[in-house]
Amino acid sequence: MLEIRSARKVFYKGQADEKTALNDLNLRLETGEFGVVIGSNGAGKSSMLNAISGALVLDTGKVLINGDDVTAMPVHKRAIRLARVFQDPMKGTAASMTVAENMLLADLRSNRRTLRRGLNPVRLASYKERLSLLGLGLENRLDTRVELLSGGQRQSLSLIMAVGGSPELLLLDEHTAALDPRTADIVMQATIRAVEALKLTTLMVTHNMQHAVDFGHRVIMLDAGRVRLEIAGREKAAITVPDLIGHFSVKTDRMFLAS
Amino acid sequence: MDFLQNTLASFIALVPVTLAQSLILAFVVLGIMIPFRMLSFPDLTSEGAFPLGGCVCGVLMAAGMAPLPAILIALIAGFVAGCCTAFIHLRFRIHTLLAGILMMTMLYSINLRIMGRSNLSVFGSTTVFDWVPFLQPGFPASKIVMAGTIGLLVFVLLLYFFRTEKGTAVRAVGANPDMAEAQGINVWLATIGGVGLAGAFSAVGGALMVQSQGFADVNMGLGILINGLAALMIGEAIVGKQSVPRQLAAPFVGAIVYYQLVSFCLAAGMPPPDLKLATGLFVLAMLALPSLKRSRGPAAARETVRE
Repeated sequence: MLEIRSARKVFYKGQADEKTALNDLNLRLETGEFGVVIGSNGAGKSSMLNAISGALVLDTGKVLINGDDVTAMPVHKRAIRLARVFQDPMKGTAASMTVAENMLLADLRSNRRTLRRGLNPVRLASYKERLSLLGLGLENRLDTRVELLSGGQRQSLSLIMAVGGSPELLLLDEHTAALDPRTADIVMQATIRAVEALKLTTLMVTHNMQHAVDFGHRVIMLDAGRVRLEIAGREKAAITVPDLIGHFSVKTDRMFLAS
Repeated sequence: MDFLQNTLASFIALVPVTLAQSLILAFVVLGIMIPFRMLSFPDLTSEGAFPLGGCVCGVLMAAGMAPLPAILIALIAGFVAGCCTAFIHLRFRIHTLLAGILMMTMLYSINLRIMGRSNLSVFGSTTVFDWVPFLQPGFPASKIVMAGTIGLLVFVLLLYFFRTEKGTAVRAVGANPDMAEAQGINVWLATIGGVGLAGAFSAVGGALMVQSQGFADVNMGLGILINGLAALMIGEAIVGKQSVPRQLAAPFVGAIVYYQLVSFCLAAGMPPPDLKLATGLFVLAMLALPSLKRSRGPAAARETVRE
């Protein structure tokens, strides 16, 4: 379960270009729930994800994961509980290290790192098996340095790395936006399979309205640093792409009510 | 023909001495390689940590301490110096190179304070090189055996470490600090520890050098960094840097080849004062090579370093 309570973040405070990124934002995601976050550029989507992961320090407000206050925790401590796939395939992997070494790093995300050998035969076999689920042939390239993989392969690897170990919270930050349509589709299908199989609590940011319609239990629309609209349940099941796009331009009564 | 013969003769006569020297200086090259390649943290601390190790070891030996504890205390001093550089960079967001320059400048005064004067003779004190059995103490062979053995031990230990869970995490910090942090790795701890370790190796190099040459000098670090870089470049050109074993072997191979090369140049009659210019030009050429190649064909990947 993820909870954000009255999160507030102002950039360049007191200067001419002061910008309120998060304006008393409240959000609650139940355990096992898949939330899809949409919103125009500058709505606060990235700031929200960064506040959850710890990369952004809030001015006021709290972030709770499964009831524990993680607001004061640095990024590397929160990583024990959450995993994140970035938009940029370069960001989520260590380019100069091999596929197996990257898998190892993710494997150790929530464990104590010891002075024992990292890549042992047991681990290598399990990485091979997990990567073969993608059907991209990565299981035969464990010793290849990640910089030699294509963007799609790298992003698929990032995904497998993130969902391994069943994190308490999975953050997907426009993770298919930098990929071609076919690869984006492969990565998205793999995402859905993993999220459903492991029943992961997931928060996905996307600009792809079709994805927002097709996937997830709830659509959360951000605007000016707060949640403007939430669509869940039967309403979510019935929504179409034009409906969603409509919400971007027209501020309906319901949107004001929701705020 | 006579010139060639003379050059070769004096070069060959110098091979053992040079080999002993290069095996000792390999520790400094290692201290340059670890931050630069493993942590993407170009570090200049070694220019100060090398004489720091030498001065600490010299003072302790002059005070009658046994050679091994003197080296160990020098190692700790170097470790602290490296940690300081990393901390200055991380805490105050000062560029790694500037942090290194600050540290080595401050270390110069500290080294002078430690010794109380600019040089100190420890001639006649027992050194680790005296412990080599069956060889005459003071002869280059004992230095080659001792420095070589310590070097081999360090190489094996580092090779093991960088393949452990902790070691892989340290390498991840160099490869992609943001990703490492997102995978739960404490970037501060890994950086401070890694650069500290490098400082420790540089200081050990200084301590061994003092025991080998019989005196400590506050200026003994002058230019050591550029020599070390040149050695590293040569080593990487010979054994490569694509895997951990190769990257770790490069400083040792590079140091051995580089100092033989220098010795050859000197034997061929190059005036010693020109040595730094020649070394600098060589490093420049090695660093410029990728960009010269790039003017034709696709752009080569740039070295990624932290700023």
